[in-house]
Amino acid sequence: MTAPDAIDAIRTAFQADLRAVVTAQDLQSVRDRYLGRKQGAVAALMKSMAGAAPADRPALGQAANLLKREIDEALTVRRDALDATARPLGSVDVTLPGRELPFGRRHPLTLIREQVETIFEGLGFEILQGPQVEDDYHNFEALNMPPDHPARDMQDTFYLQQPMPGSGAGSAPPATLLRTHTSGMQIRYMETHEPPVRIISPGLVYRRDTPDLTHSPMFMQVEGLLVGEGVTMADLKGTLVSFLQRFFDPGTRVMFRPSFFPYTEPSAEVFISCVFCGGDGCPVCKHTGWLEILGCGMVHPAVFEAVGYDPERYTGWAFGLGIDRVALLKYRVEDIRLFYDNDLRLLEQFPH
Amino acid sequence: MSWLRELVDVRLGDSGAGARGPADITELADALTMRGFEVGAVEPWPAADRDPPDAVLDLEITTNRPDCLSVFGIAREVGAMYGAELRLPKVEPDAAVLDASAAQLGNNDAPLSITIEDPAVCPRYVGALADVEVGPSPRWLAARLEAAGVRPINNVVDVTNYVMLELGHPMHAFDHAKLSGPEIRVRRAAAGELIRTLDGVERTLQPEMLTIADAQRPQAVAGVMGGADSEVSDTTRTVVLEAAYFNPISVRRTSKRLTLSTDASFRFERGTDVTAPLTAIARARYLLAAIGAGRPRGAVVDCFPAPPDPIVVRLRHRRIGHLLGQKIEPAFVAPILSRLGFDPRAEGEGDSPTWQVTVPPFRVDVHREEDLIEEVVRHHGYDQLPTTFPALTEPARAAGEWRARDQTVRRLLTGCGFSEAITYGFVEREAALAMHPDASDLVALSNPLSEKGAVLRPSLLPGLVDSLIHNRRRERQDIRLFEVGSRFRQSVGETPSLAVAITGAAIPPHWAGGGRPADLFDLTGALTRLAEGFGSHVAFESGTAPALVPGRTASIRLTCGNHTSAVGWVGQLDPGFANRRGLPGSQEVYVAEFDLRPLTLDAFARLRAAPVPRHPSVVRDLSLEVDDTLPASEVRDTIWGSAGPTLVRVQEVDLYQGSGVASGAVSLSVRLTFRAGDRTLTDAEVHTATAEVVSALERLHHAKLR
Repeated sequence: MTAPDAIDAIRTAFQADLRAVVTAQDLQSVRDRYLGRKQGAVAALMKSMAGAAPADRPALGQAANLLKREIDEALTVRRDALDATARPLGSVDVTLPGRELPFGRRHPLTLIREQVETIFEGLGFEILQGPQVEDDYHNFEALNMPPDHPARDMQDTFYLQQPMPGSGAGSAPPATLLRTHTSGMQIRYMETHEPPVRIISPGLVYRRDTPDLTHSPMFMQVEGLLVGEGVTMADLKGTLVSFLQRFFDPGTRVMFRPSFFPYTEPSAEVFISCVFCGGDGCPVCKHTGWLEILGCGMVHPAVFEAVGYDPERYTGWAFGLGIDRVALLKYRVEDIRLFYDNDLRLLEQFPH
Repeated sequence: MSWLRELVDVRLGDSGAGARGPADITELADALTMRGFEVGAVEPWPAADRDPPDAVLDLEITTNRPDCLSVFGIAREVGAMYGAELRLPKVEPDAAVLDASAAQLGNNDAPLSITIEDPAVCPRYVGALADVEVGPSPRWLAARLEAAGVRPINNVVDVTNYVMLELGHPMHAFDHAKLSGPEIRVRRAAAGELIRTLDGVERTLQPEMLTIADAQRPQAVAGVMGGADSEVSDTTRTVVLEAAYFNPISVRRTSKRLTLSTDASFRFERGTDVTAPLTAIARARYLLAAIGAGRPRGAVVDCFPAPPDPIVVRLRHRRIGHLLGQKIEPAFVAPILSRLGFDPRAEGEGDSPTWQVTVPPFRVDVHREEDLIEEVVRHHGYDQLPTTFPALTEPARAAGEWRARDQTVRRLLTGCGFSEAITYGFVEREAALAMHPDASDLVALSNPLSEKGAVLRPSLLPGLVDSLIHNRRRERQDIRLFEVGSRFRQSVGETPSLAVAITGAAIPPHWAGGGRPADLFDLTGALTRLAEGFGSHVAFESGTAPALVPGRTASIRLTCGNHTSAVGWVGQLDPGFANRRGLPGSQEVYVAEFDLRPLTLDAFARLRAAPVPRHPSVVRDLSLEVDDTLPASEVRDTIWGSAGPTLVRVQEVDLYQGSGVASGAVSLSVRLTFRAGDRTLTDAEVHTATAEVVSALERLHHAKLR
């Protein structure tokens, strides 16, 4: 083989070897193979030139040097490319999943309750909590529902076999039933405070309803009460409209409709434009475009008389909102009983 | 609809001549709904020959409006809505009415003698006879009953039901021949007296129950149901028609006691019109004649010993605006009340009059001024009420401490990975007793929905364990739940409590290794974190508790401020109990329950921040060999008690048993951190303190330094 042929053969072989390089180690072995001081192909070439004709030597030497420079430059370019993609020392695969840290959620009914509380706190309401076991007086009688009142049928009641100690102060009568609403706390509050009164009382209540998609024998409710001089039904409407629009959506439409509750007169049922169809009509709103959301009214004078307020001087209003119902609507849950199963597959969908 | 329009002059889609009316039946339904009579459905009624086609309105009537449990009552509302004229149904013309006291005196003209023994529960009883020819009702009458959901029986019974549906007043018809004579006695039942009612059931009566009896025995349970013995049958020739007023509470009690609710009792217990019985009888006798089912015989006998005075209620125009926040013109108020049957008489002149309003006897719900204001605003329209905002005249009081406490508990436990559960306030008795074995302390319900909710929960654990099991049975292995809620005991009443439960992995398997199942110390750790979150401290002491595994159970002592109290238990749940409740497999479950009453945020209320240390600390590790029955808490207490004031932290960093450690002993490594606030500690100081600790451990626990 002539010397120029040998140079071409080395160049071709090097280019093939360089293409096969994957790692920095591969690159180093290619460098050793061609540019190594003792065993390198270029060094061997230089050595072999000693046997060439003296007249050819300068040209051959130039060609060999050119080859050496060419290889060196190609290796440098390849090394820079490799360096650019190489992982630094101690690097890790950052796409592996992180450690699972424990993550608990509040119950959706707690979330709704706290949202309602926050809105009413902002409106200057005090938040109260009362006992779940109540006496007949605070649950019914003081609310204008004497014994044998047919309205008691509206709230089928769980009774205790034997009275248990009441939770009111000192001489409180023993509890005989599970409260059917949180109104008893409002009575207790009015018994011990003079107007103005501005309170909400959230909590669990009980009705002896057979469980189904929309009924649970225990559910959560929040009731509000505002009493003062010159409090009007228009105030009730204004407060509830602003609450509902803030809670659901500023575009929510609100409708008041006459109803009956023994403890309010006049009484109203409040509807909001359906959160599912926006009021166009769908199976949830039974194609009416409206969803019943709460009951309310002006406090019945008999209730004021029961707590020793002068109904001529003071007027007031009250409302009651089912937290479960609101949660069903707001989170599109289909079955109220799911709230009490505490299935983590449901709970873990809610915010912390 | 056709029945309604027979009673009120309202025409659908008729914009002409006179009466205003709704455009169509949907508009009428909406208008009724907006006045408090919710129309649940408008169903076409199959009467194809009718023009316009007939329809049935399905109305929901609130308990305060028994007067609207009738077509005429709704007609009155519709008339008031549209200013349309009411048409009174036709009645027997010129019927002679005999006062019962006259009938009593053996007057031969009297067809019937009526005695009311207890006028308090039956203020009025009207009776009359009719000779009848029993057969089927004409088609139109039967169809109307069917439209109202009442099954046609025969023309006589159908007429009494028709009158009830039309006028809202229940009636009854007795077979005259089956009575022991022409004598009606309204009396209380004797104890144990029997009657077979129309539904064929033999019923035992009590003295509190009112009966309609003949000379010998009860023939009807007053206001509830007639007796089978005097039922109208094909062979009946003469009937005694009854229309009476019964005290609502009496009817309600009887109906409840007999668990027998009828169309009649439903109306009587809500309150009927005391003036209606006479009209009802006259209407029934007219209808019997009109359909060829019979004809009146003799006079109507009316026993009404003490007719009540009508109720008059004052209505101040000013008060309407005061309550509603809206001025409604007097020119609207008086006419709407009149159209509804009230009689408002204005007192005084001016733009803010006062009316003395006579309440019609059918409006049993109206007693006070507010009731009249509701009538006004109901018809004026709730949608017309303005929206205003109530003035805040005093700052709001802060919520009770319970609120911050419960919120902090929730925040801390969700932070520890526990999700919040809400479980029922009532549980199965067996589950309650397992957690709280004192049966006399349980609070039982007298009318539970089922045995699964027989007693109020004395502990939150039965419910929380059930929720854990619910998840475990649905492919969920790793579960952390807590609940904040009330528990109920006869001894202490209703108190706030916290329950926590954990099962499965405390640290789930991970590619980097380190998966670990949950154990007792995950829960004691969470409770320690909880206490710290309140600026308080908990300590655990070996103990036993119901349904928890002995040797893996501790009592919890909470120190909050200067007050230390036993607040509950933490431990492994008895696997037998867990399996009985439905837990599959043998995965360990750990639970705790915690009385929340002593837990307060007072520590933070008094918080004054200590200066941040400026001098370095010194750490010393000690490896000790101690008896393996010695509680670690005692070692810890001894260390704290002997090290002097520079000790700031004790950590148990290793626990080892096995080769190199004597049997019956355990190797415990503790790391002590020393620091002084005012100087850098010298080696000599730390050495002295450590020597004191070692010497105390040797002396008190025979510990050996390894």
